Amino acid sequence: MRVVIAEDSVLLREGLARLLGEGGHEVVAKVGDGPGLVQAVDAWRPDIAIVDVRMPPTHSDEGLRAAVEVRERAPRTAILVLSQYVEERYAAELIGASAEGIGYLLKDRVADVGEFLAAVRRVGEGGAAIDPEVVAQLLGRRRCDKPLAQLSPRELEVLALMAEGRSNAGIAERLVVTEGAVEKHISSIFAKLGLPAAEGDHRRVLAVLTYLRG
Amino acid sequence: MTVHQAQAGIRPPARPPAERVWRVLGAPLDPRTWMATGYLLLSMFFGIAWFAVIITLFLLSIGLAVVWVGVPLFALKIVCLREIARVERAWARTALGADIPDPYRPPERGSLWRRLRGMATDPATWKDFLYVMVLLPLGTLWFSIVTVVWSVAFSLLAVPVWYLWLPGHRASFFEINGHANLVIGTLVEALALGLAGLLLCVVAAWVSRGLGAGHAAIARGLLGPSPQQLARRVEALQASRARTVDAAEAERRRIERDLHDGAQQRLVALAMDLGMAKERLAGDADPEAVRALVAEAHDEAKRALVELRDLARGIHPAVLADRGLDAAISALAARSPVPVEVEVDTERLASPVESIAYFVVAEALTNVAKHARATEVTVRISRERERLLVEIRDNGAGGATVAHGGGLGGLADRVAGIDGRLVVDSPPGGPTVVRAELPCGS
Repeated sequence: MRVVIAEDSVLLREGLARLLGEGGHEVVAKVGDGPGLVQAVDAWRPDIAIVDVRMPPTHSDEGLRAAVEVRERAPRTAILVLSQYVEERYAAELIGASAEGIGYLLKDRVADVGEFLAAVRRVGEGGAAIDPEVVAQLLGRRRCDKPLAQLSPRELEVLALMAEGRSNAGIAERLVVTEGAVEKHISSIFAKLGLPAAEGDHRRVLAVLTYLRG
Repeated sequence: MTVHQAQAGIRPPARPPAERVWRVLGAPLDPRTWMATGYLLLSMFFGIAWFAVIITLFLLSIGLAVVWVGVPLFALKIVCLREIARVERAWARTALGADIPDPYRPPERGSLWRRLRGMATDPATWKDFLYVMVLLPLGTLWFSIVTVVWSVAFSLLAVPVWYLWLPGHRASFFEINGHANLVIGTLVEALALGLAGLLLCVVAAWVSRGLGAGHAAIARGLLGPSPQQLARRVEALQASRARTVDAAEAERRRIERDLHDGAQQRLVALAMDLGMAKERLAGDADPEAVRALVAEAHDEAKRALVELRDLARGIHPAVLADRGLDAAISALAARSPVPVEVEVDTERLASPVESIAYFVVAEALTNVAKHARATEVTVRISRERERLLVEIRDNGAGGATVAHGGGLGGLADRVAGIDGRLVVDSPPGGPTVVRAELPCGS
């Protein structure tokens, strides 16, 4: 996959580039701020842009805003936003109407190289990768919710992994069960929450996230 | 720069004499003169109106006190009095340039009766009453003086014009029984009187300004805080400043401790694991043992990251600065182990106010999770005029206190530091209500 990296810390930028290179991706451009990202995406049309939220000049959320702009200008470029901290509100802004090709992860997740590379691949292929902490926040907010209370603990686990954007195979691997069992859990969850059966992983992620955001 | 000068007691440089003369003679052209004159003329009419309203309500409420009607009338009188005082303060600020702060005690919370009693027993209310009573005679006096000086000044100023247009160029004044006591027969005489009128305008201007300043002083005394109140306020501010400094110091120590005990220890462990792994790789050790050490180091590194992130969030949550209270409090609520219902109804505020409101909620929620044994919490934040009200209510066991040095105690100091109030109402058996009122300007 062809990757553009937007990250102002040189240490992390070079580290990411090396990690992605070793993972078999091609880093076509490395930039250090929001406008740089927009230009690089226009010039290179990469498969995925990996963006830090905090960048110069204000060090608040310019990465997020640049990501939203890139999304409008080049909808085919997937975006993976990395952040020092994750908040459900930012996730909502980033996802907007479609979770296709969107990732929002804590920077720490880079440390689990295998998981991180899998997330990059998933997002680059049009999937989603939402940080478990965001999902936990979403679930925390809907705690008093009646339909959620009907889910079994296992079903809640499956729901959380679905919200993170994992495929059936990914969920099955994570929970050490068969894919068939996962499918059974998922149809039960959709029935209990009253969600229409969604086809394909992307639509499913969006359905679950929309439900959780209430 | 100005502050330094004031502290060092250096006077501003003296104005050149020409400027000073102009300042004295030019008073009739100064807008402040006309504001003061307008104020003094109108104060009689305000005095009559306020007096009529207040004295009617006051006497009626006393007369009808035996039957229940007296009480609401009395309440109405107090409310009217507050509004009148508010108008008068604003009016004195605009016209006389007198900045008079509100002298009232903070409003009582709770039933209508308690709030009313709080207002009725506030000495400031009765000083307002006194002001309305003296405004009538004072206003009448000001009206008479100002009318007389200005009309005499203007009449004299008009004499030359009058003289020129009068048939026969002859004007007589103060006629008694057909005998004129003052006759203007020549242009020089007319011009002399005109000049006198001009000078009298300057006098009238300074009389108006002087009376205005005098009235401002009276208004300040009756509508503003008393010297004792001001002294108490200075003491309270000094104490609160000292506590704020202490709190900041304690906070720095806590951050230092957290860094040392948390992330730094983890990084030491990580470096140790990596060091051992390196040693073993140098020899020909069991690859399995090296792998275990590296895995352990990896875990330590990730835990250090989590601790650093939590620590940073505890110092200042970035989402608060970026997206405001609603987003930050929702995130807090989502992390709380006890279900929290959040209602935030305010636009973006000054960052110290947002920050204190956030930490009040954060600390209250931490306490709920630790001690309250509650099953639900509601957080309400709303704007009431120029105050931000923050309320955290749980259904737990109660018995919470604002202990000095405790989490809530430190917050009470921070709240007091911006002139707010923090009240904890937590009877044994619950429920606990933590309520903060923060002034937030407009």
